[in-house]
Amino acid sequence: MKLELIGKPEGCKLLRMTIDVEPPLSPSSRIRSVSIRGDFFAIPEEAFDEVEDELVGAALEELGRRFDWLVWQKGLECAGITGRGLDEIVQKEFHNGV
Amino acid sequence: MAYEFRLLETGLRRAAFNMGLDEALLRSVAEGVSLPTLRFYGWAPAAVSIGYFQGLEEEVDTAACAAAGIDVVRRITGGGAVFHHHEVTYSIALPLRHPLACQNILDSYRLLLRGIVEGLSVLGIEAEFAPINDIVTGGKKISGNAQTRKLGCILQHGTILLDVDVDQMFSVLKVPQEKAKGKLIEDIKQRVTSVRRCLPQKEPATIDSLYALTIEALKQGFARALDLALDSSSPTESELLLAEQLAHEKFSSLAWTALR
Repeated sequence: MKLELIGKPEGCKLLRMTIDVEPPLSPSSRIRSVSIRGDFFAIPEEAFDEVEDELVGAALEELGRRFDWLVWQKGLECAGITGRGLDEIVQKEFHNGV
Repeated sequence: MAYEFRLLETGLRRAAFNMGLDEALLRSVAEGVSLPTLRFYGWAPAAVSIGYFQGLEEEVDTAACAAAGIDVVRRITGGGAVFHHHEVTYSIALPLRHPLACQNILDSYRLLLRGIVEGLSVLGIEAEFAPINDIVTGGKKISGNAQTRKLGCILQHGTILLDVDVDQMFSVLKVPQEKAKGKLIEDIKQRVTSVRRCLPQKEPATIDSLYALTIEALKQGFARALDLALDSSSPTESELLLAEQLAHEKFSSLAWTALR
């Protein structure tokens, strides 16, 4: 099932996510695909696609931690986007009863 | 000793060419073919540019742009969507090994944007850097900026608003409620300003005269703040050829513009 998420967490730019997860939806649902968009910076830009690809298979509740780890592993420099910010957007949606 | 920079003033051009030339400058500076470069330019017709990571249809009313003859282009830099109309745009290309090239994004903005702040000061406008990538005066945004690093080179470009038509801006940009934080468009209008609104002298000025005045001030600002020796020049023939090629094959293509 597909989630369309949007938010502007503290310290982040506007972030949008489209996440396809395995049903049934829960924090432990596995990510099948993810697209992260917004007015943030990530350099080198092309490596961000690899981060998105390698988020596949992670549980929704691990999204932020896995994102931060991949950013570090691939040597990306980011501004306006953090793993904590992504988690906050996902949690807000659960809180609102997706 | 001042840092030697090439100065280009390339006038008002189409969006795809503008982005093609910025990328061509990045490449020629990266290859060491050209000196570090400061370029000033504008947009004709008006245009919307979106950041590298933005989704076209989420950010831009493409039908409204088409109806109004407004170009739409994706940048190679991150950051947000910008409506380019009455403004001065600048770009800086310099190698990462240059003393003015900071190693991280925020420090880099902080340093290079001193040129804009100083240039506005020449106009009598007191402004300051507002992290991550803006310049504000009196708490209102007057300049937005974006940056990338490729091929061992930094490319930073940004806008200095000469005048603002917020209603036209919002007729082509889609501003989500999350960004507006629940406030009305009227409130957003209060957060943006322009050179025209901030100039201490209140004589009416044409956009053309504001454009020329602001570029002269920015030249002085960059030279003073970053200790640049600016050498007025023109893009090389190979830079122009590459710019045209990139404009045609990359920046005009839907595959690039609708990448995300």
